[in-house]
Amino acid sequence: MNSRSKRLIRSIFHIHRSSSMFLLYEYDIFWAFLIISSAIPILAFLISGVLAPVKKDPEKLSSYESGIEPMGDAWLQFRIRYYMFALVFVVFYVETVFLYPWAMSFDVLGVPVFIEAFIFVLILIVGSVYAWRKGALEWS
Amino acid sequence: MVLLTNPIYSALSLGLVLVCISLFYILSNSHFVAAAQLFIYVGAINVLILFAVMFMNGSEYYKDFNLWTIGNGLTSLVCTSILVSLITTILDTSWYRIIWTTRSNQIIEQDLLSNSQQIGIHLAIDFFLPFEFISIILLVALIGAIVVDRQ
Repeated sequence: MNSRSKRLIRSIFHIHRSSSMFLLYEYDIFWAFLIISSAIPILAFLISGVLAPVKKDPEKLSSYESGIEPMGDAWLQFRIRYYMFALVFVVFYVETVFLYPWAMSFDVLGVPVFIEAFIFVLILIVGSVYAWRKGALEWS
Repeated sequence: MVLLTNPIYSALSLGLVLVCISLFYILSNSHFVAAAQLFIYVGAINVLILFAVMFMNGSEYYKDFNLWTIGNGLTSLVCTSILVSLITTILDTSWYRIIWTTRSNQIIEQDLLSNSQQIGIHLAIDFFLPFEFISIILLVALIGAIVVDRQ
């Protein structure tokens, strides 16, 4: 009796939970994607590590410098130009984060909100033109 | 005591901590805040921290570092006491009473809208003026950074 009722409960439970991952059922596809996209590089490295094992050699481990002996340190001085690009990127990234909820509710809101968001983007376009003209976006 | 000697590894492990915090937001059914956490903290703030770490000279690592000093003992004592007080406070607060007394005001067809749509509606209608001020703050930050760089 006990095993029969247990099997009945288990069959009902199987009908309700058809095929889903462990938690947060609406994120099923996300977990599947995450697992597969983590498994494939791990598998690739494992298989190549088995098929072609690396034998470390001091000559193999030295860095390549077009055939000549490597001279000096491999680390270059960090330039401020890199930081300027990161900063400009961050400002426009934060602007994008504010545009996402407006875009999600675009069809419910009307034309006045469209004009408000247009003003938002316009002020930041002024900033981007300023950065452009002042040479913050120069690479060389 | 420092676990990782390379400061870039430390900055990347900070990024991992911020990603895990965003998973907490997913558990609390606030998906937009989780995505915003990933965008802002990991994508913007962690990138800036990483670039600031890269200004440090690479060859000055902590080669031979003393693992346990007196200051380490003091800070571990303070952190343990903070942890214990946080645990007792969180377990003693009645969270359900707080959630039930702060229900948001009703928007038409609120149950049909997703989280980020509600945030967008509130942002555009209730908080329209702060929305424009945010753009001015970003503009000021951009111009200020460029002016500082020019000198």
